[in-house]
Amino acid sequence: MMKVKLKCFSQVKYALGENEINYELKEGTFTDDLEKMVRKNAKGKLDDVTLSIAVNKKYISKNMELKDGDEIALIPPVQGG
Amino acid sequence: MIKIEIVDSYIKPFVSNDKQKEKGAELIFNGRVRETEHGKKIKMLEYEQYEGMAKKELENIARETQEKFFINDIFCKHRIGKINVGEASLHVSIWSKHRKEGLDAMSFFIIELKKRVPIWKWAILIDGKKIPSECTHQ
Repeated sequence: MMKVKLKCFSQVKYALGENEINYELKEGTFTDDLEKMVRKNAKGKLDDVTLSIAVNKKYISKNMELKDGDEIALIPPVQGG
Repeated sequence: MIKIEIVDSYIKPFVSNDKQKEKGAELIFNGRVRETEHGKKIKMLEYEQYEGMAKKELENIARETQEKFFINDIFCKHRIGKINVGEASLHVSIWSKHRKEGLDAMSFFIIELKKRVPIWKWAILIDGKKIPSECTHQ
């Protein structure tokens, strides 16, 4: 098993009610698996929300295997400015 | 030169000066909080950032802007936390030799910021209720 941290912002925070969540996941879990799990836990509240993914504060463009200690953020559409 | 700051209080603008003898254009942009969102009056906006990543992404965009448009300097302050209607949330200053590259650079920088920088707004409604802002202007 490995431990990863999910950081929650904006609509993700609103849907899950948490700033961050620690998960214990099986080795071989990918970013897409985590996203599916989070969407399921959100019970429909994220169905219409496009999410980008950052691992260790860097955007990733394709599905990636997670490692112990990774920090993941599912990033809803940003709104700076 | 590139200078990026994320601040949690009132934005003090970058100081202008008359000593830049080879830089003919100084552009300043202030983004301010509007009173309405999707037709509803708001009290204020609250900005949240992904700490560490937001500043890094602003620095990446500033570097890309400098390389693409050959501008001399780009300075940016983004405010987070609660910001009252009318106050500035974003302050950008660009120095360049001529106006055209400065204007193009400003537009590019702000468009990329709105696409990539992990900062979000929460609308604080008149009754005090806090909801994620639906505003996603590109």
